[in-house]
Amino acid sequence: MNTLSDNALMLKVRSGDLDKMGLLFQRYHRPLYGFLFHMTQQREVSEDMMQNVFYRMLRSRHTFTGEGEFRTWMYHLARNVVKDHFKQTRRRGSHHEISDYEERLPAGIAADEQVERKLEIKALERALGNLSPENREVLVLSRFQELKYAEIAEVLEISVGAVKVRVHRAMHQLKEVYWHLETQNK
Amino acid sequence: MKCGYDKEQLTRFLHGELSAEEQAGVETHLTECNECRREWEGLRAMWGMLEEVDTPEPSADAQVRFDAMLDSYKDSVRSGDRRTALWWRLRELFRGYPAFALGYSLLLVVAGLGFGYWFHRPAAVAAAGSDKQELAALTSQVGEMREMIMKTLLQNPSASERMRGVSYTSEIKTVNKDVVGALLSTLNNDPNINVRLMTLEALTHYANNPLVREGLVQSILQQDSPLLQTALAEVMLHLQEKRAIHPLKKLLQQKDLNEMVRTRIQETIFRLS
Repeated sequence: MNTLSDNALMLKVRSGDLDKMGLLFQRYHRPLYGFLFHMTQQREVSEDMMQNVFYRMLRSRHTFTGEGEFRTWMYHLARNVVKDHFKQTRRRGSHHEISDYEERLPAGIAADEQVERKLEIKALERALGNLSPENREVLVLSRFQELKYAEIAEVLEISVGAVKVRVHRAMHQLKEVYWHLETQNK
Repeated sequence: MKCGYDKEQLTRFLHGELSAEEQAGVETHLTECNECRREWEGLRAMWGMLEEVDTPEPSADAQVRFDAMLDSYKDSVRSGDRRTALWWRLRELFRGYPAFALGYSLLLVVAGLGFGYWFHRPAAVAAAGSDKQELAALTSQVGEMREMIMKTLLQNPSASERMRGVSYTSEIKTVNKDVVGALLSTLNNDPNINVRLMTLEALTHYANNPLVREGLVQSILQQDSPLLQTALAEVMLHLQEKRAIHPLKKLLQQKDLNEMVRTRIQETIFRLS
């Protein structure tokens, strides 16, 4: 087993041992995919973006100094890939592929508690998708990627104070959008 | 009634971003204020639900795609390196010497004309072996070009440029009398000791050439630097050149000879004879 730290591996990649990126891929492609999926809510697109992030890490390996954590650097690059994606879809008009989920749920037996819960969670996921990208990303990084505020600050290149404000605002927006979706459904 | 409590604290409490002291403060407040407690419960429930949101797995071919991407990237880096290395060397060569650039251009024009003529000449006129002759002529032209560059560099007032000239000899496969002469003259006369040492090293590559050997033996008495004297003695020992014994003995007769050099030379003479 390879016990080298992420930073040590990435520094090796930086100095020319490009194969070490394979180990980082094994460690991080799942969480990275999760981040991209929650940001875009599109599976295929997230697959492409994930490869793109690893490609960018190779290409800009010289910018990795080893001062910060590898994963914050990775999410920083991933975030730029997401940004580029949103820029493109805004130009072309976005299309979500999220809704196929509801059809798989048994309709009409909402009395079942489990189904009820699943619907609620689905609504929350849709609410998350309706947040502004700025608000969505802080919640995704905090909840799904389990980053601390200080790490989020590094990824977004803003102060920790600004992260606190943004997370708080995002939580409120999520609550409101979710509540709005719930009352629409009932 | 509206509680004026800082609600941001609740979010930070939920995310474990409070100090122990702050946390205790929030907890106390939550026991006292119903409004904040309701708000807190709502946030916590939502945060808990968010955790249950599905995160799909990447598809099975993600690894395959990554491997392919990595391979093609490595290829592109490798060919990129080669390209930049060649480009860098060409630039280094022509930097500050427009005459070389012009010379090479002319050479390319001549080569182009030569090839053009060779491809288009009437078959009947084509004498057997003439293409070989032309190729040999071109090769020798390139060789001459390299020699000229090296000799010009050796005349340069900057020591580092002269060193570049010396290192250039590694590009020349077979050295002729002129090149040997230029190198030996540098070995004996160059004011910079590093240039002389480097020249000595370059010359040892051609030690099979009798001219070079002869020159090296003669150079022993020309050197006044202890470094070069010992280096030359070492080369002689390496080449097992017995003709060096005589000049080495002569060197020992010099009164101001460095003591360390003296012992080294005595040792060399002993091992050569």
